[in-house]
Amino acid sequence: MIEHGPLLERLLAGEFVCPVSDESGYRHLSNAETREEIDTYLRPLNRRLASNEEGSVYFLAWRQLNDSARDQLSRQLGDTLNSLLPLLEWLQLVQEALGRDTLAAPGDVLKPAEFSAKCEDNQSLRERLERLATDSFFGSQSDQLDAQVKQVFKRLKEHGYLLQPHSERQVFVVTGKIDYLVDLVRFIRDEENLPIDAEGEEGKQEALL
Amino acid sequence: MSELESRLLKTGGERLALLGKHSEALMQAYTRDEVPLESLSDSALRKMLAARILWRPDEQSGVKLSPKVRELIAEMLADETRRHVNADVAETLELIRALVHSYREARSRGEHWRLEQQLMRLRQEVDDLNGRFADAIDSLWQRLNSDFGFVSQLNDKIRENDRAQKQIARLLDGLALINFDELIELVGSDGSLRKLLISQLQQQLSHHYTGLREVQRRLIELMARFRKQQARSRLISGMAAFMREHPGFVPGNYARRSEVPALINQAAPLSAAAAPALDRNLECQVLADLLHQLPQPRHTTQTVEAAAPAQAQENSLAAARQQALKQDVEHFYLSVIDQPQAEPVSALEYLHESPLEWPDEIWLFQVIAEYQGLPRNDQRAFRLKQQESQASAFNHLRLIHDVELQLAV
Repeated sequence: MIEHGPLLERLLAGEFVCPVSDESGYRHLSNAETREEIDTYLRPLNRRLASNEEGSVYFLAWRQLNDSARDQLSRQLGDTLNSLLPLLEWLQLVQEALGRDTLAAPGDVLKPAEFSAKCEDNQSLRERLERLATDSFFGSQSDQLDAQVKQVFKRLKEHGYLLQPHSERQVFVVTGKIDYLVDLVRFIRDEENLPIDAEGEEGKQEALL
Repeated sequence: MSELESRLLKTGGERLALLGKHSEALMQAYTRDEVPLESLSDSALRKMLAARILWRPDEQSGVKLSPKVRELIAEMLADETRRHVNADVAETLELIRALVHSYREARSRGEHWRLEQQLMRLRQEVDDLNGRFADAIDSLWQRLNSDFGFVSQLNDKIRENDRAQKQIARLLDGLALINFDELIELVGSDGSLRKLLISQLQQQLSHHYTGLREVQRRLIELMARFRKQQARSRLISGMAAFMREHPGFVPGNYARRSEVPALINQAAPLSAAAAPALDRNLECQVLADLLHQLPQPRHTTQTVEAAAPAQAQENSLAAARQQALKQDVEHFYLSVIDQPQAEPVSALEYLHESPLEWPDEIWLFQVIAEYQGLPRNDQRAFRLKQQESQASAFNHLRLIHDVELQLAV
């Protein structure tokens, strides 16, 4: 178990482990035997290993849901929901600013400088960024574009959606936590029966395989 | 070499050379719609029309690249937007049948030269067929490996993927047209035909078949990924739009349900803290080493008088003089210690003999103060004798004229 020490610490600290955030840790977790060992270890801490449906990201869940765990989950859910719209808007903004036709996905490389440059050239993107950066979730106090972008990236890094491989270089990589966020959005849509274009194509092709 | 063959070689060579000679104009025609006529002479244009490198669809329209040349260029550039996948198997099969019949006739008539010709053409046709499949598969892989990078929009990628899948279906249909039972019958007992059309072709085609199936599988996988990306994108924009329209939207509190959804169940962070412990001897050494490695804390002396700079200067000057006086007195004490026979030394005599310039009174004062400032144990090591006299007969004020210091041995 000792060789999984650092991995356990990350998990206990509430981090999401994916191939981007911790490649070797993720590889270990792909092994069912290791997962079982870790689960056994976590038992007295009332925690267990959990993953999203695809298994692209691992995190710790409560083993038994007592009252305090439920309280904590309620609070956490509230926080997540408060930050949901700014996060979704950021995802859209990145997609549009960088002229991509897909959402930022785990492993994608994002450069704040490139993002700023695109927003600088386009008034509408600029305004949307401004609104987003000054949202309480991102909390930028500045009216400078570069500072706003920097703050947005900093907050996303703090929340584990982005990883900065070299602290002195302004290059970020999208982590698997984005997958978790998308899963959560899909879950809410389905649970609340929200009138959002479901696009039933997904899975149709996979069924052909 | 027959006359026909030599004429073919000559004309073919000349016409191929046209491609090189007018390559720029032809490439312009490839990227645009029509051939830029201003860069071509009349005779060059005529020659290229005759060679079917160019053609004119009708009188009114401009001159265009012929489809075969366009295809050739696309093939050479691996230009996946224009590369055609066309393995017209039915046509080739017809041709092969005709050639086999003609080959047999030649054999039965003993026309050796024609026999050779027919066999060579058969070989070429089989090679062509193979080449077309190989090309098609290569083109499909290229598109697949670049994630359809030649189109930028996801919707276009999905359409291109769809088109590629249809091409594969047609290629597989083409492969299915080749019936080896029929070919075996057609070939009969001829050894060289059997080798060419049965064993060799069968091996090659099964290779193509595997290749096509693999590309097909990968294309479907990629399509699923494209669709998933598309669905993700729509989901996010849909949810964002919904939340903007319904600012008061609050979903249910899933944490209060009897069955908490797995996705929501995310345990609170826990920090695995540790502190240095001294209950194991072995580790104490390690901790001590660590402690020694710690950088020395630097305490800079803080001047309390910082708020009054004018006075501070004077004070520090006085302090410096005081310090100097103290040091000189210490030297005096040391010289007493150094006295060979522990003889008493007069403080004033020492002062006057030395180059020091302290006033007598201050000097005596400091010598006495130094003695009184010594710790009791050290004090016992010295004997301080004051030479004093009474100031007047009317009071008991005593004046000290000098002090003698002596080691108490």
